Amino acid sequence: MRHLIEHTSDNTLTPQVQTHSLPLHLSVSLFNSGLGAGITRPLRLDVTAGSLVPPPRLLPAWQPNWESVKTIGVQFLDVAEPARSQTHDFATGQTPNGRVDMASVFEPTLPHSPRTESKTHRTRVDVPNNALSIADRLFYLLQPPIETLLSGQELVMPFEPFPFQYHGIAWLFSQSSALLADEMGLGKTMQAISAVRLLLRAGQIRTVLLVCPKPLITNWQRELAMWSEEIPVVAIEGPSQRRRMLWEMPNMPVKIVNYEVLVRDSEMIGEDDFPAFDLVILDEAQRIKNRESRTNHAARSLVRKRSWALTGTPIENNHSEFVSLLEFIGAVPDHSANDIRQLNRLARDFVLRRTKDRVLKDLPPRLDRDELLDLNPAQQLAYCTAERDGIVQLGEMGEMITIQHVFELVLRLKQICNFDPLTGQSCKLDRLGAEMEEIAESGGKAILFSQWTRSLDWMRERLERFGPLIYHGGIPSARRDDVLKRFHDDPNSHLLLMSYGVGAVGLNLQVAGYVFLYDRWWNPAIEDQAINRAHRIGQKNPVFVTKFICRGTIEERIDLVLQQKRELFQAILGDTDLSNSSLSLDAREIFGLFDLRTGHGDQLRSIQPPEQLDNSHKPSPTGLTTRNSQETGSPHKSPKTT
Amino acid sequence: MTDPAVDNCTFRIGFLAALEADDGAYVAGLLVTNRYGRPLEFQCTSPVRPTRAQELLYGQTLRPFLLGESMGRALLERLGTPPDLLVTDNDAILDLRNHIAIPMARVDNQSETTLTNTTAPPLGRVRMGRRILSIHTAHEDDIQALHHGATQVAAETDLQEPLERVREALAETLEGQ
Repeated sequence: MRHLIEHTSDNTLTPQVQTHSLPLHLSVSLFNSGLGAGITRPLRLDVTAGSLVPPPRLLPAWQPNWESVKTIGVQFLDVAEPARSQTHDFATGQTPNGRVDMASVFEPTLPHSPRTESKTHRTRVDVPNNALSIADRLFYLLQPPIETLLSGQELVMPFEPFPFQYHGIAWLFSQSSALLADEMGLGKTMQAISAVRLLLRAGQIRTVLLVCPKPLITNWQRELAMWSEEIPVVAIEGPSQRRRMLWEMPNMPVKIVNYEVLVRDSEMIGEDDFPAFDLVILDEAQRIKNRESRTNHAARSLVRKRSWALTGTPIENNHSEFVSLLEFIGAVPDHSANDIRQLNRLARDFVLRRTKDRVLKDLPPRLDRDELLDLNPAQQLAYCTAERDGIVQLGEMGEMITIQHVFELVLRLKQICNFDPLTGQSCKLDRLGAEMEEIAESGGKAILFSQWTRSLDWMRERLERFGPLIYHGGIPSARRDDVLKRFHDDPNSHLLLMSYGVGAVGLNLQVAGYVFLYDRWWNPAIEDQAINRAHRIGQKNPVFVTKFICRGTIEERIDLVLQQKRELFQAILGDTDLSNSSLSLDAREIFGLFDLRTGHGDQLRSIQPPEQLDNSHKPSPTGLTTRNSQETGSPHKSPKTT
Repeated sequence: MTDPAVDNCTFRIGFLAALEADDGAYVAGLLVTNRYGRPLEFQCTSPVRPTRAQELLYGQTLRPFLLGESMGRALLERLGTPPDLLVTDNDAILDLRNHIAIPMARVDNQSETTLTNTTAPPLGRVRMGRRILSIHTAHEDDIQALHHGATQVAAETDLQEPLERVREALAETLEGQ
């Protein structure tokens, strides 16, 4: 017998046994050996069981011992899902046991529907240049498209953001130093809030300080409630003891403070004891444009890991303001002196700016119209007298003349263009009344800007029939929201009278389809800010902008300079060309508004601004205003917003 | 099989993908996300080049062995955040299902644009989000896990997208090698 092992067709090993018969009948022959007794003993056969198939020995005795696989890993913070309000869409997806059936909430859409196409757009987070370690780079690379997180899934958005807004959110998310300089009305606030929300959700930040002008605190609170209902927010205001308590309050992710309180409290608490933040956001960041100001110092002294600046006008007057913003976000060292080429390169790395004409193809148009008006007789007389006397007076001053003297004359003439102080005659008011009749008749609403609160109050008395509301620095902060709410809700309120200083920034007034610039500000960027209160996202109708200009007056000359400034502004920010420094009227331009001469006869010569004044406009000089700049505005100072 | 009692809020999906480098080495990555696609954990292997012995011994089964049994299992063992469902778009990786207890599914290569919400998925397949997922033929019970998963992710979720993230991350790690 022998055993064999055969391979079968399915590659298994099958033992096979071959057997051979052996005869057990043995032949016996006897011979005398003396062992006869042994012959009689029967033959005994013992049977023992034995395996016919011993273990096959053809399998390999060698076991594989591969080298173990090395791995690297990244852990992401697992933050609990945010609580959702009962009114949220998820309510419709609640199953009887309280669970959410996502598929029932988000019905599949047809593949070729416009909505699907918008959903398939993916905005990925870029890996920032300063992310050097592989773990940091993987963190950003592995983030889902922003749309995935914000389009009605994990973090609910009340409205679908525009693609450029998704891009802005993704950009902010990955930037520890960022200057978001979108044109006014493109939703900087929403983008910042959404990015904060994602960073909080990803566990990248825990504490945020938002610094904004005082009138905008309620606006930010409202926007935060709308775009990030789950994030607790507190405004730091009230008596000093309360503010100190709020500064130290733990477990409060977002704190809001206005610039003035920040300056005051940073001095009260002291830099060493001041709380640190993971992120500091400056809204209307042009407020820190003056490097030497206390506001700038207080902002730069904040201990923080991330710094964002939001402004629609990163350059109001000159490029040193831009450098101040770059210093705050940490793009350049403090008090650095950068040339234009360096600033251009920094702008590419740290600045994101989009303009409406590039990204909002669907925004209703803004229709600008210059309304050239002839002064009423009494106005004309007052104007001519004031101008003649003023120029004579200035000429007599000769070389002693300062920009302050010229500026005072400009203001006097502009005020007469608004209305004659003696008779109250006003060609602008007449035209405004006629246009408001038509607007009110059609149920429309208008915003009017002036640089003088006194003019606004004067107009209010004369335009009662249109239910005018006043919004300027003289209105207590606590009442300002009520004014805006009433303008929004009251169908009989057709006109909102605002000062440039208070109304130009941060407010959403899309309810208005008409904007009047009753008089002109010194800086086209500020005028644009004002107009963009109405001409912004959410506006469904064309916005008609009317600029009142009195023919043959100082206003016409100022308008010409502003027009040139506006073109310059577009050239600088559109092409990121920072070589042109001044956007506000400078001393030479203010002198140029009049043909000021001194001397006699053949010795007449033009009066030029003193050299020190001509140069001093560049770093935004102080002390050039003749009165409260909030009320009058100064070509050298940005409007105060409080 | 997914525990039916699993808390909806903690439903996690693991996305397993691999890349082959120019020198014939493989890297594999496993991204665990919550049901919205937000990353919770990522593990990836260092490049693994099959040895000559492995090529001889495993022949046609080398890729399933390497990507699934060897690298896939190693990644799973390192995870601190185990997923409720593993998703891949690679048949070789799907072989890992024979060595683990976690349900696995493969995202069909069928272009999402050819799908409509009125198209019923074939037998053994489940629509999850915007994609059709199929299971390993030897693990039919996994279909129940897919049905459960389908109730956890939004209809607009694209389960192919996280796999692209994994491959991007793997490419980044290869660059850094």
